Amino acid sequence: MEFRHAQLDNGLTIVAEVNAQAASMAAGFFVRTGSRDESAGLGGVSHFLEHMVFKGTARRSALDVNREFDEIGADYNAFTSQEATMFYGAVLPAFQGRLLELLCDLMRPALRAEDFALERTVILDEIARYADTPSFRLYDALLAEHFGPHPLGACVMGTAESVGAMGVADMRAYFERRYSPGNVTLAAAGNVDFAALTVSAERLCGGWTPRADGRDSSAPPAGGGRRIVVDSDLLRQHVGLAGAAPSAQDADRYAAMLAATVLGDATGSRLFYALVDPAIADEASCAYDAMDGTGAFLTYVTADPPRAAEAAGIVREEMRRFLDAGPTQEELRAAKNKIASASVLKSEVPMGRLTAVGFDWLYRHEYLPLERQLADLFAVSAEDVLAVARKYDLAATTMVALGPAERL
Amino acid sequence: MKEEIFVAELPNGMVLLGEPMANVASASLLLAVPAGAAYDPPAAGGAASVACEWSVRGAGLRSTRQLNEALDALGCHHDQHVQSEHVLYSAAQLGRHLPEALSLQADILLRPRLDGAAFGPSRELVRQDLASLADEPAQLCMTRLAERFYPAPFGRCIYGSDESLASLAAAPLRDAWRRVCRPEGTILAVAGAFDWPAVCEQAERLFGGWTGRPLAEHVLSPAPRGVLQLTKDTAQTHIGLAHAAPPIGHRCYYASRLAETVLSGGAGSRLHTEVREKRGLAYHVASHYHGLKGMAGMFTYAAATPPLAEQTFELVVAEIRRLGEGASDEELTRARTQLKSALIMQNEATGARAAALASDWFHLRRVRTFEEIARAVEAVSAGDVVECLREFPAADFAVVTIGPEALDTSGIADCGTRIADLQTEDSRAAASPNPQSAIPNPQ
Repeated sequence: MEFRHAQLDNGLTIVAEVNAQAASMAAGFFVRTGSRDESAGLGGVSHFLEHMVFKGTARRSALDVNREFDEIGADYNAFTSQEATMFYGAVLPAFQGRLLELLCDLMRPALRAEDFALERTVILDEIARYADTPSFRLYDALLAEHFGPHPLGACVMGTAESVGAMGVADMRAYFERRYSPGNVTLAAAGNVDFAALTVSAERLCGGWTPRADGRDSSAPPAGGGRRIVVDSDLLRQHVGLAGAAPSAQDADRYAAMLAATVLGDATGSRLFYALVDPAIADEASCAYDAMDGTGAFLTYVTADPPRAAEAAGIVREEMRRFLDAGPTQEELRAAKNKIASASVLKSEVPMGRLTAVGFDWLYRHEYLPLERQLADLFAVSAEDVLAVARKYDLAATTMVALGPAERL
Repeated sequence: MKEEIFVAELPNGMVLLGEPMANVASASLLLAVPAGAAYDPPAAGGAASVACEWSVRGAGLRSTRQLNEALDALGCHHDQHVQSEHVLYSAAQLGRHLPEALSLQADILLRPRLDGAAFGPSRELVRQDLASLADEPAQLCMTRLAERFYPAPFGRCIYGSDESLASLAAAPLRDAWRRVCRPEGTILAVAGAFDWPAVCEQAERLFGGWTGRPLAEHVLSPAPRGVLQLTKDTAQTHIGLAHAAPPIGHRCYYASRLAETVLSGGAGSRLHTEVREKRGLAYHVASHYHGLKGMAGMFTYAAATPPLAEQTFELVVAEIRRLGEGASDEELTRARTQLKSALIMQNEATGARAAALASDWFHLRRVRTFEEIARAVEAVSAGDVVECLREFPAADFAVVTIGPEALDTSGIADCGTRIADLQTEDSRAAASPNPQSAIPNPQ
């Protein structure tokens, strides 16, 4: 495993973890932009732009793009979050050159008005799809309540209204501002030919013009609200709780990850024994979400409506109990082993390392080999975990419920 | 790189499969027990799901908590779930922890406690899964589709119904589970970093004394097929269609997989191009192949906002039918590259590889090497694809829609149409044709 790094004159960074033994390679552009970087009235432009990137460039139509990805047998996709937009593909090593040629060209999309109009209907359908999925609805409502008017509280996809009112000129201006080379990282992992990668990037991205590309990543004030969204068509009650947590830049992130695992991993956690084992809820989990300059503990519970209040009460009780004494040594050891083996399993596929390498660079401008990450994880003590839970007051949560119950 | 695939069979009929993988630290195991939902007694739908949940609540000398603690101490990522034909227990961990993980899985399989006190919560969780399904129209649509497409008891409800779950009782289910869990046909597959002689020696020790009696063959009743339209106030209209495809092992099998790839293998495929790229009708439209033993189907799902749903439905049907006219050389070349690349990339993870070993053995009683599959994909001609689609034409569809209004499906409805209001429907559900199941789509 070898780390390689290069930077073009215009500011574009290239990072790669080369593993000559891997059967495939993966590469992707990580753009430091997402819904938190959208101005009022442009809700959903980052995600819409992610779709438009695949609609072609000056040299390629949308059909060309799709056909070429298929010709090289690429496993590829893109996604948009509150703070990042990622475009990636995995191919057999022989196709690295063609994958790069395609990905680099896509990063300067044509953004044609007729493509924009047609793709808008696809986005509106995707918004409708979310409306038919309770877990997505709950997630959006929970972040909206937790972060309030801060852009982190806005839905990544925007709304039917914001997307309906958006113009292609707005998107072009947003693109110019946010897809500046200094805001973009090209990452690769697996069986990568790094010399060829940098030559491709220099040739295809060297002409991009740098622009100002900042972000306000100050931590937003968050938390404390309660909201009940009544939907009498649902059979189940979905409850979400959000609390403050360390940021992606904070060394406390390992302790936060361990706290969430001890409290709410899918198996063998405190919430599992308190809620799923006795079948009060069929799902109860807590996850730690590390963000730029901030973070969140997100807890979800799904229960029958008459037992939802009891389930939410048990979650809060477990959080308070955690704040009293923190994890036991056995719980901590098990949580470390679970996280470590998940990281190892993920790392055995180039795509798994691509996301790790790309996001480590995007958030911290650093390369963390897996061994270093595991060493940092195993160095965390039970006292550290308790200290983080107390510092962020694990039990001080925003709560949102979605389902038929009118009260909780 | 030469692939090395190990096979051994215990005298009691249990099969051991192994494939060492270079450059990995993990080893994944999968235990596939032929005790899935198809073995549920007719009035006891959901029995396998409840028993599976129950079986991990304490085993051997360990309570539920001790069992979880032992697995967690190994950093073991474990899961269990029910399919139509199998109950699957999977565990992924560092290779050096494989022996301990296997020993714990053997306890779960051979010595589950099945305590009376744990029966109620096990059944209750399955009932809640069933209720959750009703809140997810996309899942529900494909679940109902499998039920209409496959002959019972295949494709049938893995969760049963509220009534069938209520009728289950601890003592009979305990007896039934002990009868249905048997070595004959059970597969243990291991992939990654492990020592094969040690795995065999340990498996012999753990499972060698396991006995069981063969079960009666399934008696199949005809699949309902035809159209079912469920009306519900949803944001999208969800559309599922299924028609027959050659089962794995059939001479048309690879031609069919190539045809599937031309239809829906990537963003350049016909469905994506015509439905989404050119017309912007739907965000999600895809077909996937799903096979059971001796029978298989092409399952297509699309969802569109209600005003665009009928056009989407008609276009999807038209594209599925147009495929019968054959594919261009360019399309087939692309499809071959896609299938061969996916074959390698999807098998880089040890868990995926263990599942592929088990799937091959179940369907073919042997394991195909990558080279064999790649050669077979390469050998398919344009004429083979046309011949395959003549033998398995786009006809005799099963169709399920869920949306605010029923669609006009007269273009395909050669069977009866049934329109039901979802709120008044019973809550039956079927095994989902989800391709992400642990025994994956055959390649």
